[in-house]
Amino acid sequence: MARDIYIGEILSNEEIQKEYFLMKVKFASSFDDPLPGQFVMIRIAGLNDPFLSRPISIYSFSRGKNYCSIELLYRVAGKGTQILAGLIKSSQVEIHGPLGGSFEIDESKKQIIFIAGGIGIAPLSLLAEYLGRNVCLSKESMSFYLGAQTADAIVGLDKLQKLCYHIQVCTDDGSVGRKGLVTEAFQKNMNKYSAAVTMIYACGPKAMLKTLSKILSGSKFHCQVSLEERMACGTGACMGCAIAISDNQGNLTYKRVCADGPVFDIQQIVWE
Amino acid sequence: MIVDKKKIKTNVNLAVEIGSLKIKNPVMTASGTFGYGEEYAGYVDLNLLGAIVVKGLSLKPRLGNPPPRIMETAGGMLNAVGLQNIGVDIFIEEKLPFLQNHDVAVIANIYGESYLEYQKVAGKLSSVKGVHALEVNVSCPNVKKGGLSFGSDPKAAAEVTRRVKGETNLPVIVKLTPNVTDIAAIAQSVEKAGADAVSLINTLAGMSVDLKTRTPHLKNITGGLSGPAIKPVALRMVWQVVNRVSIPVIGIGGIMNAEDALEFLILGAKAVQIGTANFINPRATLDVIEGIKKYLFDNKIKDINEIIGTFKS
Repeated sequence: MARDIYIGEILSNEEIQKEYFLMKVKFASSFDDPLPGQFVMIRIAGLNDPFLSRPISIYSFSRGKNYCSIELLYRVAGKGTQILAGLIKSSQVEIHGPLGGSFEIDESKKQIIFIAGGIGIAPLSLLAEYLGRNVCLSKESMSFYLGAQTADAIVGLDKLQKLCYHIQVCTDDGSVGRKGLVTEAFQKNMNKYSAAVTMIYACGPKAMLKTLSKILSGSKFHCQVSLEERMACGTGACMGCAIAISDNQGNLTYKRVCADGPVFDIQQIVWE
Repeated sequence: MIVDKKKIKTNVNLAVEIGSLKIKNPVMTASGTFGYGEEYAGYVDLNLLGAIVVKGLSLKPRLGNPPPRIMETAGGMLNAVGLQNIGVDIFIEEKLPFLQNHDVAVIANIYGESYLEYQKVAGKLSSVKGVHALEVNVSCPNVKKGGLSFGSDPKAAAEVTRRVKGETNLPVIVKLTPNVTDIAAIAQSVEKAGADAVSLINTLAGMSVDLKTRTPHLKNITGGLSGPAIKPVALRMVWQVVNRVSIPVIGIGGIMNAEDALEFLILGAKAVQIGTANFINPRATLDVIEGIKKYLFDNKIKDINEIIGTFKS
């Protein structure tokens, strides 16, 4: 498996909502087809500050005749993403990937529940697309709970509406959808789902995932979460992106979000 | 016969000797930045490297520090990984066979919390095939016991060196910390104790503060600074050390490209290690090797050894 560093050409990079950007990048077709949950490391060549690449999960992927392209949905959170946001069409970026593992798919689970907070929609949206296309799950079998602080932070809804039939939007301030936490909205409906045939996929801020973990503890629901962490290499070498995990014997161990994840079983994570 | 013109065009000798260790070129990976080799095997033909220095090994597996462990800084990064590793036994069983399948020198970086632990790890690695040298870490800034205290005391550093030498016939490289007043004094001390080479520098102790929460960015509070930001400090220290010892010196610190590597070689380093650069460019090692070749060819130098230590001051 030869891996390469790709020089990507930006096809578009638009602010779709305040502080939220959608970047489309085109590069050579030798890039492997990404699986849902995988990410890329992206940086501007030669830049020393910010120094490191940014890990961003893949929002969509497509192949053209002699090239392929990915879409990255990202929020401006610091210096690195601020600079990415300033890139104009035809600018170049360095990209390598697809990196990390993907969401596990269990074909016996016919009911899919997605729970996303803010930008956490990105990998789950790709997963919903994948499940619809490759596993032939119907729109009706996929329910999406999408939460954010305010209406400004709800992104990607247009695409989602084509993929999932049941979509519950929640905001902390009630500016759109149900007022309250997305985890509360899920909890309210929880007894409508049967754990035996349901798979839950979640991605969002740690506080949201921690709450979800409490809600699910003691239940039989299987839930996979995709985590975000500061990374240096993205390939498993630096051990920088550690997450505390309880192993099968109940011992604490640190796993690498990049190489051992970014997808983990929610019940294995040891929350701070 | 097909003649590879490109190869002839850059036909220069890159092989160097670190004591009895002969390597095909002076470019190594720095411990802790290249895993156990397999993490980068998709990007880099490992057979092309001078040597692979593996992630630091301790007697028992080490959990490492709680996260967050890294923070980006201008021209570099801080890390406080805390030597998380699988332990020497699992390394020998699970990771070494992969490296043995390659034609590349393997240098095992070792760490201990006591003299005895250094001895035991060295002993285990010396009884197996496929390890070509030991690099003794007396300089990790991120662990509470051992590590730094051995490396910052000339007597303790010498004692670790003597004990490891007593356990092995492999060449012993001692990796030095920059977090001392006089690094050359430590280098001289380990030379007297029998070290076959020294490598320097490890990371510089540093920290950074989160303005929102007024807390440290790293859970460990302090961490080790690496990356291009530290190169001038590393160059100064390599220069001080080559002037005071006669054993080979391996230069480490912020090398991002061939030009950076050549600075260390010209100062007198026999070889260099590429560390943090691997994180942002997984092929950094190969780029450095190619760049050195080109420099030698362009300057009509046939042998890398002709430029090592040619610094004029």
